[in-house]
Amino acid sequence: MTTLLAVEGLSKNFGGLQVSSDITMSLKAGDRCALIGPNGAGKTTFVNLVTGVIPPSSGTIRLDGRDVTRLSAAERVRLGLIRSFQVARLFKSMTVREHLELAVLQRDRRTFRLFANVAKIAGLADEVAELLDIMGLTAVAHTAVGSLAYGQQRLLEIALALAMKPKVLILDEPAAGVPHSESQRILDAIDRLPKDLAVLMIEHDMDLVFRFASTIVVLAQGRLLCSGTAKDIVADPRVREVYLGSRAHAH
Amino acid sequence: MTTMADHSAPETTTPGNTLMTTRRGIDWIGIPVVAAVGLAAYWLLPDDLGLLTRILSSALFVLSLDLVLGYGGIATLGQAAMFGAGAYAAGIAAVNWVADPFALLAVGGVAGGLVALATGALILHARGLTLLMLTIAVAQIVQEVANKARDWTGGSDGLSGIEPAPVLGMFRFDMYGRTSYLFALAVLVVALVVARRIVRSPFGLACRGVKEDPLRVSAIGGSPKLYLVALYGVAGVFAGVAGGLTAVTSGIVGLDSVGFSWSAEALVMLVLGGTGRLYGAVIGTAAFMGIHHILAASDPFHWMAFIGLFLIGIVLFLPGGIASGVERLVGLVRGKEDRA
Repeated sequence: MTTLLAVEGLSKNFGGLQVSSDITMSLKAGDRCALIGPNGAGKTTFVNLVTGVIPPSSGTIRLDGRDVTRLSAAERVRLGLIRSFQVARLFKSMTVREHLELAVLQRDRRTFRLFANVAKIAGLADEVAELLDIMGLTAVAHTAVGSLAYGQQRLLEIALALAMKPKVLILDEPAAGVPHSESQRILDAIDRLPKDLAVLMIEHDMDLVFRFASTIVVLAQGRLLCSGTAKDIVADPRVREVYLGSRAHAH
Repeated sequence: MTTMADHSAPETTTPGNTLMTTRRGIDWIGIPVVAAVGLAAYWLLPDDLGLLTRILSSALFVLSLDLVLGYGGIATLGQAAMFGAGAYAAGIAAVNWVADPFALLAVGGVAGGLVALATGALILHARGLTLLMLTIAVAQIVQEVANKARDWTGGSDGLSGIEPAPVLGMFRFDMYGRTSYLFALAVLVVALVVARRIVRSPFGLACRGVKEDPLRVSAIGGSPKLYLVALYGVAGVFAGVAGGLTAVTSGIVGLDSVGFSWSAEALVMLVLGGTGRLYGAVIGTAAFMGIHHILAASDPFHWMAFIGLFLIGIVLFLPGGIASGVERLVGLVRGKEDRA
């Protein structure tokens, strides 16, 4: 399988404070990887570095073989590096369908057509219908997002990311704020994502992590602590100490 | 909340949905109603065609403001810059070179669009109050240019001597203003159709996205500023055509067409009518100028106070403008029909 995302020696300092130091990891097509770590481990900073929200102090990021370290966030999105947001960030007054139409049109760069009718653009309705189906949102297609249940907003976040035909998809706590009873629906939806996609999920909930991930990467204090299969990670004494240990304290 | 998912088949009655369908329904009949009311007014009020023509060309100007404010979220108090540029360009062209009314509108539209693109590219990185100040500054500069270029614009005396040729070579601009009125009505209706087409295009969808959350638009790979500048330019064409229409139908262009108070009045008319609906611009303009006309005739000293009270009332009790009141009424009537 081809390597889609390769991060090498990625570091970020804010003044004297090193929030990410020398992180090296890679994702191959079809990977389902979870990024975990205690609060303050630098998970969000890592995502911001990879997606181009903040520039790294050193290191390189390659997307499908191409060096994207100096590219802007929007340029990385156009190359297929897509993220979903931790807090659902949607256009409140627009309907579910309109969100997906906009994402698909933007991806195909057809948004500067001033006199075309959105409802009559060839292939658009079919593609949107398929996305709605994958995420189980067909029934609420015409509902304004502001009046959707939060779990459905999270599903739409993922659908939006998917609409952009990503190569690498980063899901930032896709089930945050969703009742535990409903998180299964989100996992089901994630299971239906195209198999050739590399997915990196940032998650706190260990239940979700173990159900989703084939590999796990553990961050602690801005460093890559270890990575491996779920079984390796559970057995690793360092992880117990740093992550599961601190979790036990917190509860 | 999950029940909502199961219930939201096409014909649901969740509050959000009824509002949406009502709005879509009115949207559809809005333009034919404007055309019909406009024609009815032509027969019913033959002595007021001068006022009615001004209402129509002003409505086109307010419509351009609705495009930037209602569909792009651009707060501006300088939309008159584009209106004035269009009016002066059409006026100067009429005095010196061309007489065909459609060509004059085109000249106005091009001038408004160019001013909007050039200034929009400079100022639209700003948001909120900063942007508001910059739009005012742009309009002031355009006004000062018009004031100083006396040889072309007539300066503070205004530009007169605009005598457009007959429409399509057949209909002369008569002294009763009949041709002017019908010409303005036709232009407004066509502009409404074009504007409606634009707001429902992929471009319109993207602009609504920028209005709600520019950062989310960049997160799906779009450039918010590019959309805003393009929208500002498109609205500038509408404002320029409105300016050209005023020049053609009134025969004069003055410095007040670029004035701050003209921009501000347009904003008041738009808020009165309702933003983000297109026909709200027409309702607001007709209400504002109609009330102005009636009150100014009966009480020339206090009419502004009544307009103020009216505006406060609308903002307090119908925050979405008169158009939202109409939508609620239609929604109520439809609700009753559904139950019956």
